[in-house]
Parts: sequence; C-alpha cells; structure tokens
Amino acid sequence: MIIDDWLVFLLLFLAPVLSSIPIALVYKSDKWTEKLPYLSVFGIFISVLMSLYIFTSFPENQQYAYTWIPDLGINFVLITDYLSCYMGVITAVIAFFIAIYGLDYMKGDYRPSWYWFFFNLFTASMLLVVYSDNLFLLFVGWEGLGAASWGLIGHWFRDDDEIAYVGVPKRKVGPLELSWPPSFGGWRAISTIRFGDVPMFLAIAAIWVLAGNLNISEINWETLFLNIGAAGTIILLVCFLMGLFTKSAQVPFSEWLMTAMTGPTTVSALLHSATMVAAGAFVFIKISWYIKPWELHHVPGLEIVYIIALFIGLISGLYGALAGSGMLERKVLLAASTMSSIGLMFAVGAASFWIHEEIAGINLALLVAFWYMAVHAFAKASLFLVSGHLIHATHSRFSCGGFEFAKRMKIPFIVTIIATTFLVGIPPLTAYWVKSAMDKSMEILWHEHHMLLPIILLILTSLIYSAIMARFLSLNFVRGEKPEHEHLEGGGLMKLGYTMMVSVLFILLYLIFTNAETKGFVDAGYASVSFAVGAGALIAYVIAVYVPRLKVFSRVPGTFFNDRMYLPFLNDYIMPKTGFFISHIVQNYGNRGIDGFFNTRVIPGLFGIISKGIRAIQTGYLKSYVKIVLGLVMVFLIVASLWGLGL
Amino acid sequence: MMGLTLNVMHMGMLSALVILTLGSIGSFKNSKLGFYGAIIALVIAFSAITITVSAAHFLSYGIFILAIAIINLVSLEAIKSEIKGVDYGLVGLMALATMYIFNTSEFALVLAALVLVSVPTYILVMIREGGANVEVGIKYITFMVLATVLFLIGAIMLVYTKSAFDGSLYVLGYVMLVLGLCLEVGVAPLHEWVPDVFSSADPIPISIIASLAKIVPFIAALWILVYTSCDLTVSITLFTAVIAAISMFVGNIGALTSKELGRVLGYSTVANMGYILSCFVVVAEPKFIYLALTGGLLMLFANAAGKIGFFNAIKGGGAYSPLMYLLAFSFIGVPPLMGFWGKLFILLSLAKMEYFWLVAIVVINSAISIPYYVRLATELGVEWKPNLTNFICLAAVVMVLVTVFLLPVEWFYSTMEVIAQTVGIAI
Repeated sequence: MIIDDWLVFLLLFLAPVLSSIPIALVYKSDKWTEKLPYLSVFGIFISVLMSLYIFTSFPENQQYAYTWIPDLGINFVLITDYLSCYMGVITAVIAFFIAIYGLDYMKGDYRPSWYWFFFNLFTASMLLVVYSDNLFLLFVGWEGLGAASWGLIGHWFRDDDEIAYVGVPKRKVGPLELSWPPSFGGWRAISTIRFGDVPMFLAIAAIWVLAGNLNISEINWETLFLNIGAAGTIILLVCFLMGLFTKSAQVPFSEWLMTAMTGPTTVSALLHSATMVAAGAFVFIKISWYIKPWELHHVPGLEIVYIIALFIGLISGLYGALAGSGMLERKVLLAASTMSSIGLMFAVGAASFWIHEEIAGINLALLVAFWYMAVHAFAKASLFLVSGHLIHATHSRFSCGGFEFAKRMKIPFIVTIIATTFLVGIPPLTAYWVKSAMDKSMEILWHEHHMLLPIILLILTSLIYSAIMARFLSLNFVRGEKPEHEHLEGGGLMKLGYTMMVSVLFILLYLIFTNAETKGFVDAGYASVSFAVGAGALIAYVIAVYVPRLKVFSRVPGTFFNDRMYLPFLNDYIMPKTGFFISHIVQNYGNRGIDGFFNTRVIPGLFGIISKGIRAIQTGYLKSYVKIVLGLVMVFLIVASLWGLGL
Repeated sequence: MMGLTLNVMHMGMLSALVILTLGSIGSFKNSKLGFYGAIIALVIAFSAITITVSAAHFLSYGIFILAIAIINLVSLEAIKSEIKGVDYGLVGLMALATMYIFNTSEFALVLAALVLVSVPTYILVMIREGGANVEVGIKYITFMVLATVLFLIGAIMLVYTKSAFDGSLYVLGYVMLVLGLCLEVGVAPLHEWVPDVFSSADPIPISIIASLAKIVPFIAALWILVYTSCDLTVSITLFTAVIAAISMFVGNIGALTSKELGRVLGYSTVANMGYILSCFVVVAEPKFIYLALTGGLLMLFANAAGKIGFFNAIKGGGAYSPLMYLLAFSFIGVPPLMGFWGKLFILLSLAKMEYFWLVAIVVINSAISIPYYVRLATELGVEWKPNLTNFICLAAVVMVLVTVFLLPVEWFYSTMEVIAQTVGIAI
C-alpha cells in the first residue's frame, strides 16, 4: 500500500518534468517542438489526476516519510493536511488550464523547448512546496520556483520586441530610465528572491540546529521559541519571513513582480498571480497552522513577528491597490493588484495570532487567508489570460478597447466581468463571503485588541481594489480608446483556457455554501459591517466602470502611482549604488591589502628572501659546508646539553 | 622450535651473503655473474625471511624492498663503471640489510644494518663512466662519517638511559641521534651536501642513494626512539617537529627556485625527508605508531619510486611523458597514487598527536611543491621509446599505482598495525 502511495506522489511530481524532457532535447527541430507541447500538457494532466486522487482517497493529515539524510533531518516527508490537499488540486488545475491556453498562445514562439521545460519544472516545484512537510524539501521546491521564474520571465531574452517590455521606452525620471526589457526582468526577479532566500535558508538551518527536526508538523515550536527567547524568536522568524516576503513581492520587495510582466502572459498568470507569488503567503499560512500562535501568547517576541507580518501585508495591500490605480499597462495593473491581494492574505494570516475563533477545528483567520488565496488564484489567472489574449488581439500591452471591441470579443468580455465582480467582494458573489470573514477578523482585532488601523486599511484597500479591477474592465472593454490593430481570429484554445478557469469560481461559491468549515464565511456575510463594505465595493466598482480615468488626477497623483511611487529607485539606483560603494571599498582597501599580503608584497617578498638565502648557502665548497654543519651541530648539542642540565 | 626457525632465517641470510660475495668475485670475469648473484641472494633472503616470520607481516614490506632493489640493480645497466659487477654486490648488500632490519630486535644488529646500508653508498656515489668522481665522494663521505658517528653515539646514549635513566643524557642522545639521521638522509638545516651531490654525481648511483639508502636510517631511528621513549619524549618531539617543518620549507622553496633538474630533485628529497621526519612525533605515544609506520614507509616507497624514475629519466635524456606525470602526481599527493596515501597517514598520525600546526605546514608545503613537480614532468617527458629508461620508469609507475586498488593500502595498513602492536609489546 505504501508503494502505491509513493507511486502517486512520484507521478505527481515527476510526470510534468519527465514529459517536458523530450521537447527540451529536440530544441533544434521545429517539426518536433511543434508537436511535443501536447506531451508536456499531458504530463501536467497526470499531475491533476494524481492531486485529485490524493484529495479524494488519501487519509487526511497523513505523513509520508522516506529517509534521505536522517543525520541532517533532510528527508522526503510529505503531508496530506487540509492546506496541501486543496492547494495541490488548485495548483495542478490552474497549471493545466494555463497549459492548454499556452498551446495557442505560444504557437510560433522562438524557443518553445525552453518555455515548456521551465513551465513544467515550475509546476513540479510548486507541487513539491505544497505537499512537503520537511522544510529542506520545501526549500528544494522553493528554489525550483525561483529558477523557473528566472527562466520564464526572461523567456524572450533577445529583448527585441517592445511588446514584452514593462514601462514606456526611453521615459526617464531623474537618472533612471523607467523601462525594463525581459532579460533585465528575469535578473531582477532572481536577485530579489535570492536576497530573501539566503536568510530563509539560514533560518531553516537554525531551526534544524535548535529543534533537531525539520518537519513542520513535528517541530515543537513552543519549546523552540521559549529556548531562544524574544530576540532569538524575532530574528529567526524574520529571517524566515524574508524568504516569504521577497517571493510574494511584499513591500519593499515588490518591484521584481512588476517587471516580471516582461514574461509571456501564461507565465504571469501561473507564476506571478496564482501560485508562485502566493507560495510565500501559503508557507506563512502553513507554518502558522502548526505554530498555532493564538495559543502561544506567553511566548515573548512572537507577537512582534505577527505585527510585522500584519502591517507589511496591509501596507502592501494598500500600496498595490494605489499603484494599480494609476497604471495603464494591462499586465502591470494586474500585477499591482496581485501584490495587493497577497498582502491581504499575509495580513489576515497574521491576524491569526489574536483570533481564537475556530470553525471545524481550523483557525478562522488562517482559513480565510487560504480561501482568499484560492478565489484570487482562479479569478486573477482568468484576468491574466484574458489580457494575454487582448495583447495578441490588439498588439498593445497598454489598455485599449471600447464597447464596440467588446461586442466582437464577447467571451473575454464576459469572463472579465465574472472574474472581476467575483473577486472584489460584491455581494453575493464568491469573494464576498471570504472578504466578509476577513472584515470580521479585522473587526475582532479592533473590538478585542483595540487595533483600529488594520480594519481601516483593509476597507480602504478593498474599495480601491474594487475600483482598479473595474478600471481594468472599463479601459479594455467599455470606455477605452479604440485599438490601433485588431486581430480577432483564432484563439480557440485561449478562450477555452480562461473560460474553464473562470468557471471554477462558481464551484468555489458552491463549496463555500456546502463545506462545513466555510459556514463561518456565510455567517459573516450576513453581518451589517460586511454588507456595508460589500456595498461600498459595488459602488466603487460601478463608478470606476463609468469613469476609469480622471483627467484631474492623471498627472498628479496618477503618474506618481503609475511609477509605483518611485520604488524602482530602491531596486535600480539605491541598491546597486550601495553595492558598488561596498565593492569599491572592498576592492580598494580590502583586496589591495589581501593582495599585497598574499600576492604582491609580503609573502612573495619573504619567499624571495628565503629562496635567495637557501641558494646562497650552496657555494659548492666543502669547507663552508663543513663550517655550517659543524656549527649547527655544536649549537644544537650545546642547547640540548643546557636543557638537559636544567632538568 | 623457535631456535630452529630463527636458524632458517639466519641460514638464509648467510647463504645470501655468500652468494653475493661469490657473485661479486665472479664478476671480475663476467659482470653478469654479479647481477645474477645479487638477484639470487635477494630472492633467497626474501624467501628465508618470509618462511621464518609470519609471512603476511613481512611480505607487505619485503616485496616493496625487493622491487626497489631489483629496479636499482637493473638501472645500473645504464652505466659502465670501472667496478662493474661489484656495484651489484653493493646494492645487494644494502637491500639485504634493509630487509633484515625489519625483522630483528637486536640493538646491535639494528646499528649494524645502518652501517651496512651507509658504507656501500660511499663507493656508489663515486661511480661515473671512466674514472671516479672523487670530489663528490669526499663531500659525501665527510658528512656521512659525521652522520654515522652522531647516530651511533646518540643511539648508545639513548639505550644506556633505558637501563640507568638520566634526563640530560636522554635529551643529548635524542638530539644527537636525530642530527645524525638528518645528516644521513639530508634534512634541513643539515642538508648542504644534498643539492651539490645530487646535481654533480651520476644520476644512476644517486637514484640508489635517494631510494634504497633512505629506508634503513628511518626505521633504525624510529626503532631506537620508540624503544627508549620516556616521560621526556612528549616535550622533545617538538624538536623533530620544528626540524621537519624547516626541512619542508627549505626543500620546497629551494626546489621551486632551482633550475638544474638534479638540484630540484635534491631539494625535493630534503622536503620529502621533512615529511617523513614529521611523523616522528608519534614516538611519545606508541599506540599511534602504526599510523606513522604506514605513512612514513609509504612515503619512503613513493619517494624511492619517484626518484628512481626521475633520475633514470635524466640519465636517459627523458622518459615517456605520461609516466613522468604519474610520478609527479604521486609526489604531489594526488589520490589514489602512493604518495597520497603516504601523506594521508602522516597527516593522520600528526592529527592524532594534536600537532595541528604541523598538519597545516605539511598541507601548505604540498601545495608549494606542485609547480616544480609538474615542471620536472614537463621537462623530462618525451615520446615513447622502448628503451631501458622507459622500462625502469614503467616499473616505478607500477609501484606508485599499486595503491590505486584499496586492497594493498588496507593490507599494508593492517600489517603495520600488527607490527606496531608487537613493537608495543616488546617495549
């Protein structure tokens, strides 16, 4: 039976990778690279089947362990808890729909082998992150995400097509040109992510040293935190969170996600909205699930960590929504809204520290964070896929298209309406119930813990968020400018992809009403505060559809928001300048010293003197040799005698 | 029973000596007789010892000695000396003494073996084609006489302290013995004769002096030092450690900055003798002697094989390039060649004795030595030709390659462990 279980897991992880190896190998043959993508998609389909099989047939909360390097706690340990089972299905299904869409979208691309290999590698890595209980194994998958992200963002590495850029080419602000090509986008992504991965890796190592176990569900977190005290807990968890914040593009590490939009739209949909960026929030929810912070109020320092996560999440939420309100580029607008959503996931996940309420044995705040992740994943992936189709159809990455255009593009239009309204929390659509529970969580913080700011930030973010989603709809289908090009034929598989994607939102709505654990969401939806927020979202939505751009605001603060409040200066100016400054100091004062000691002066000088001395002895005359040898022997013997006498 | 077996060994040694003498006499008529006499004598002695002593103990050591001696004997073919024939006898005598010293616990016989190995080299060093190299001979003999005298007096002092302990006498004896050893094998700072003699004498006799003649002094010194070790030994080992460190640096830096190939090999010998001397720090702790024995002997064998190969290549105007590189890599200590194992076990013995600074120095010196060994191999390497030089080099390479298989190393190691235990029991 164990073998069967492992077979399922092996198929789950390996089917996408193995099925993409053939296309990677025949990268030179146009004939084969045209056909083999179907095999890659089939590999992902197998993962879908396996994830569904795990979801339906595997016992819940079962751990599957296979020892690898037990001395270091590095083992293949997988777990089928609530989060893994759901997230596994979500990941595999989204990847599969996007892969179908990609068959159409990537047709005629100049390196399909590269694309499909990394796309499938990404899927496998994400599944590994989702199911793994062992922190090291999780980190392996985590690094796979980073590598695939780099490969896919920089997919169009030739930087030869303006349509793949982010920002307006040649637009300069101060010393910076606010325009980024794909190759640079890939570099920015991997460098930002590495910046967080290193402290995260150190934190994992520290957890191993301190707790002697790397399995998230088995670590005795309470003892661990109590042993290392307040400062230790804060340092350990903040190091760990660095990996999550960078991966999830929370402020101030959000810039890479904006320029990640230089990648193919399928990549933006899968990696940069639904799964990879959500992985940070997912891991946060997962470890909070087992840390159970609401039971650990006596642990010093833990509250500070959760306050940090709460406010980084809320600030990212507001920042993303505001930045999105000034943007015209389709995908970048969606990217900004994505970081906003993920910010809310972090915020409500962090609220679990103060919230004791449980539904079916699951903490309300964590459950809300997770369900919001699920709803957001399908809705945002649909929107990305639509915007990819629009970019193909209009040859423009800037929003354009009026009502006439919408009439000819009915399916994308309808899908956009569904995805946006279901996402922003308009009653009684899917996200409304989840957001209601989110409002309730923040209300608990206000009423029971006197924290008013979180709920204010949450409501503000919700309203602006609703407006920018409506703005996306309006600028592309209702009140946007007429596109210069229109290329409306084909795209059947693309339409199929996002139609299937958006239809999952209905299934989720059904699940919310039928699942036992989400009953609390429905109850929260009937609360008056929630309804007021929902009504507010609806009003913001309607207004933004009618007035997507305000002339008065378009210069200031529109430009300010569009330039992401000049955060690019941190990434592209302050950080590199600091780096150059440090390397300058190291080069001039460190390296020269080291060089001087080892390579140019001290050691070589000594070497020269010694070797001259050694060779100077060899005069060739026996007389001088005898003098030296006898002299030395005498000296040694006298010293030895004196020492002996002293005994 | 015991008396009988001992007799077999002594009978064997005696008959080997007789055959050696007869061969040498016969060589005045036909030089081939000297060669065959020496070979037969060695085989008889080898078999006699193997039969007498528990075979496994001696085999691992004896087989290497036999191999080195036979390669030395064959290499003498390359030179037409005035004492052609007798030189075989001399090498045979050295080899017999080298085999014998490993199987005796008689103090007097240990010293006799040392003299028996030392004296024939006085004659060998002067061999050259047409005449005798007297200048080199005088340089060499002057220091050898001093070395032997120091060694013998030191040894006798040390053994005396065993029966009537006297701290100052022990220290003086220890220092004298080590200084004697240093002069004998060429450890810096008493190495002055080495570069000169190695570069100006004929390469063939030097290949014998650099290989076969180095083994007995070390075994004799180690034997006496272990046998006489006392409470003072722990502190006095610092003296050998410092001398060893100096020797490594002098040897390697000298070799690195010398041009003449013979001189480079001379300095390389100084450095290698430093490595081997360093493992003498274990004499204070008999339970680790097996590590020092394994490391020291493997290093001596690797040094012997390398020196034979390189000197013969100098004599023959170069040898097949891959062979030269393999010998160089063995000297550098590239696994799994024999030089690597030698250094590894030396390092292990140093680490066990907690001489970590010396470990660092050995490692640094191994790194320093890389360029000149590679240069030697590059300069001596030529195309393959089926000549005597290449066959001798091939034999040397086979020797350093034996340790590619782990079995010989393990076998050697476990043998040394058993031998060290018996030495420990003897003490």
